[in-house]
Amino acid sequence: MNRIRGSYLLVAAFAALATVAAACGSTNTPAPASKGTITVAGFNFPESSILAQLYGQALAHDGYTVNYKLNLGTRKVIAPALQSGQIDLYPGYAASELEYYNNSAGEATADPAATTVKLNTYLAKINAIALTPSPAFDGNAYAVTKATATKYSLTKLSDLTPIAGQLVFGAGPECPTYKFCLPGLTSVYGLHFKQTLTLDTDGPATRAAFKNGSIQVGLVFSSDADLNSLGLVVLQDDKQMIAADNVVPVIRTAVDTDEVKNVLNKVDAGLTTTDLVTMNGQVELLHQDADAVATAYLQQHNYFS
Amino acid sequence: MSLFQATLQWLTDPAHWQGNDGIPTRLGEHVHLSIESVAIGALIALPVGIVLGHYGRFGTLAINISNIGRAVPSFGILVIAFEVFGLGDLPIVIALTALAVPPMVTNSYVAMREVDPDIKDAARGMGYRELAQVLRVELPLAVPLIMAGVRTSAVQVVATATLAALVAGGGLGRYIVDGLARSDNPRTLAGALLVAALALSTELLLAGLQRVLVPRGIQVLNAPVVQRATTFKTA
Repeated sequence: MNRIRGSYLLVAAFAALATVAAACGSTNTPAPASKGTITVAGFNFPESSILAQLYGQALAHDGYTVNYKLNLGTRKVIAPALQSGQIDLYPGYAASELEYYNNSAGEATADPAATTVKLNTYLAKINAIALTPSPAFDGNAYAVTKATATKYSLTKLSDLTPIAGQLVFGAGPECPTYKFCLPGLTSVYGLHFKQTLTLDTDGPATRAAFKNGSIQVGLVFSSDADLNSLGLVVLQDDKQMIAADNVVPVIRTAVDTDEVKNVLNKVDAGLTTTDLVTMNGQVELLHQDADAVATAYLQQHNYFS
Repeated sequence: MSLFQATLQWLTDPAHWQGNDGIPTRLGEHVHLSIESVAIGALIALPVGIVLGHYGRFGTLAINISNIGRAVPSFGILVIAFEVFGLGDLPIVIALTALAVPPMVTNSYVAMREVDPDIKDAARGMGYRELAQVLRVELPLAVPLIMAGVRTSAVQVVATATLAALVAGGGLGRYIVDGLARSDNPRTLAGALLVAALALSTELLLAGLQRVLVPRGIQVLNAPVVQRATTFKTA
């Protein structure tokens, strides 16, 4: 790991040198004119920084000048900043954005396209737009331990229906009243657990409860980096109950040109949930920097060629 | 409707005063957890502080070791204890006891150290043996400071017992945690107010207990001069 970090540092050092050299050179021969400045923001969690870097670096490669405002805060900070034009773009999640802008009216569904169309009716009012949602998904997911999965041969949520009465379910305090959590599990999948424990939403208490066997089924997020190392298996949402929290760029209409759209759509189209898990792991478990992880991903997938 | 009105309405709604998630049940759980933790903490801390304070030895060591309980975040202790012991009151009692011990060790140690050496000498001179000297001379003089430690611990424990709600436990923290998660601000604020009220009541109750425990002679000793003078006149 150190070796990898070292090589990144080296790359970063050369990049810095190159920048300085370019800056010195530019006094004589002006650099190609920038296509404009775009400010990319991100939420206050690592995955958002990675996504913002993916968008930002792709745009920079295309010739835009990109400013970053990473770890800006929650939606309560980001949304007003977008509306006032302090930021131009942020990586959103279709269903969560919709439920934020419609004041939790419960309009989000499991269909990312339909959810995004609905979202855009609200974004239009603040002169913003959500582009095409990516297949990459970071939303609610229901996991069991590998032992439980093997014991009852579970792969999808509907496999749980006959045996839920023997299992204890753990989730955050909002779950009993949140449409895509316990009410959805009950009405769509007919799950009636032996007991439901109020823990945290995908936090340390849920992990501890999995480890000591207090729960057999728990709410996690689909792009969590540590699911594998915890020995957790995510069950497939085979009846499309879970809200479509697919990654989707939210952008001010003022900067929403065809070219910007093309660049962002290309990044989104190639991105998968597995990519998110991998990159989250590099940042959260291996402590690499989000910008380096994003650069490596874009290089590997030939966005810079 | 303002948040304040909504909170008032929440608190006065009869539906919130009954059942498993009702205020009496949650209050009972909260008080139960707090008493358990402070009592266990006192059983550990007071003997240590009193004995070491009496001999005036190893005080720094004991105080610093017990301060680990204050330095380590209660939430951290709680999650680790939950992972080891699983569901139930035990994890939260462990976390709260760790929080309750340090002020009681520190205060009882200092309280015993601060007893005037002349009084100890006088007690010896009048023929008190060591145990009697501790129980009948030093402890009564030390009660005000010891009780200050107990009060500090108890108030901290009552306020921190809200954490139980994070590991599927009960108590008034349930309202705060659930309210935050569901954006139900009146519920959150009502929970916070109930915890604050309970913490204040704890402080007042223990202050009352202290008045009972402190011998009359020492109360007089600590009273303002005017009051002291009149008391002596009438006595």
